[in-house]
Amino acid sequence: MFDQGEDPAQPFDHARLLDVLARADSDRLAALAEGVLASLGPVEVVQSRTGLVMLPMRDTVQGTDFHLGEVLMAEAHIRAAGTEGYGMIVGRDLTRAMAMAVVDAAASLGQTPEIRAFLHREAAEQAATDTARLREVEATRVDMETF
Amino acid sequence: MAYVATRGGERAIDQSERLYRAELGQIDAARVAEIRLALPMLIDRVMGEASLYEPDLAALALAQAGGDLYEAVLLLRAWRTTQPRLTIAEPVLQDQLFTHRRISAAFKDIPGGQILGPSLDYAHRLLATGVLQGQPYMPTPVDPAATPAPAHQPSLAAWQKAQGLVADPARTEVAPDDIPDLTREPLLFPAQRAHTLQSLARADTGGMLALGYSAMRGYGNAHPTVNELRLAEAEVRVRHPRGTVFSAGRVKVSQAEVTSKGKSGLLELGFCATLGWNEVKVISGATLDLNAPGAAKGSPVEEEFFLYHTEPVEASGFCIHFKLPHYVTFQSSLDALRGAKTATPTQPEKVPA
Repeated sequence: MFDQGEDPAQPFDHARLLDVLARADSDRLAALAEGVLASLGPVEVVQSRTGLVMLPMRDTVQGTDFHLGEVLMAEAHIRAAGTEGYGMIVGRDLTRAMAMAVVDAAASLGQTPEIRAFLHREAAEQAATDTARLREVEATRVDMETF
Repeated sequence: MAYVATRGGERAIDQSERLYRAELGQIDAARVAEIRLALPMLIDRVMGEASLYEPDLAALALAQAGGDLYEAVLLLRAWRTTQPRLTIAEPVLQDQLFTHRRISAAFKDIPGGQILGPSLDYAHRLLATGVLQGQPYMPTPVDPAATPAPAHQPSLAAWQKAQGLVADPARTEVAPDDIPDLTREPLLFPAQRAHTLQSLARADTGGMLALGYSAMRGYGNAHPTVNELRLAEAEVRVRHPRGTVFSAGRVKVSQAEVTSKGKSGLLELGFCATLGWNEVKVISGATLDLNAPGAAKGSPVEEEFFLYHTEPVEASGFCIHFKLPHYVTFQSSLDALRGAKTATPTQPEKVPA
């Protein structure tokens, strides 16, 4: 997860692209979506809504999958230019989900240098945020001595 | 004895609600934002008990309820019913959690090491009274380590199973759609394990602590030691219409295993997890899970007892419903009492022969 996004020549695979878009900065994602929207022509909005996603977890004792609870999510699904785009994010920001769907649709027609540059920048920023947090977490590691 | 229809009180009810809300004053976005920022532990607790993860809505519910936790949970559970179910995410696995804290009290040298993460476990509990005299309290920043901790930590239980310390029962694969779901079906006993764990995940923290603590003090079958405690973030992995599984973001989760030496010669484990970071809840819940097998009927560690009595909306709702008019029921008890008094004349106490 942290080693991708280094080589700007490599396109992002679909799962990685969606991972990065779902965590991308709202304003920059919206700006990119605005920019690529024209290339899609008329857009059919199949879905734009909030709703619940049930989150299961696996118990470590007996291996039973059970429901931890529901997460409120925003979902957007569009069709345009013979392709489709999909966005789903944790939270209730419909604009962000729609921006993700627009970029997903545009990227499915080809990861332009603009889209790829965006993905690389966001991926790097997300990795930096995680690394900064994990360096703080590492500072709390116990170095125990036995007498 | 018949029902007596009464009317009236409409104005009193209306003014009573106004009186309550007037004391809370204006609720605006700034108040909600401040609650979310200042009270993350409370937000987590409310989201866990409401079984609905959305920090802004939890903060709003707290603002509207004036901090009454049961009211806040009820507001969120009620609001939840207005939303469609979009899908069921991929199951969260322990060794894929983005881990912020991970400790074991039972084993010193666990694979992956002991990572305290954010915790007040070893802190002095001193009230910063200077704040009230106008001296803001500024926390000392963390000195980050040169290298980051691994994002994911191995599962201690999996290691224990591999070492033959813990039983490793065969598991059956269940499709996410077929996982038993308490929001759509009733809790029946003996409960399916998926129902037990879902119910504990939604349960009232205080209620779980009271019952779990009774087991810890000796009213249970097993004394718990924390096998592994984690505070983490789980990826919510969903499916794109073209089939690609991706992470739509992260949510905070906590998870605990507690252990004790079982009669079988193996270590026995109890498990509990919830949405949000809430250590007291998951340790208490895991203690109840550990103690439940073979517990006597009516004991606080018997699953029917603890699952029914820790459901926050049902329990608080039943408690407060006693405030609503029970005049008919009570009148009938009173009539019975008076009737009994008239029918039985007071007799002098008899001395046994």
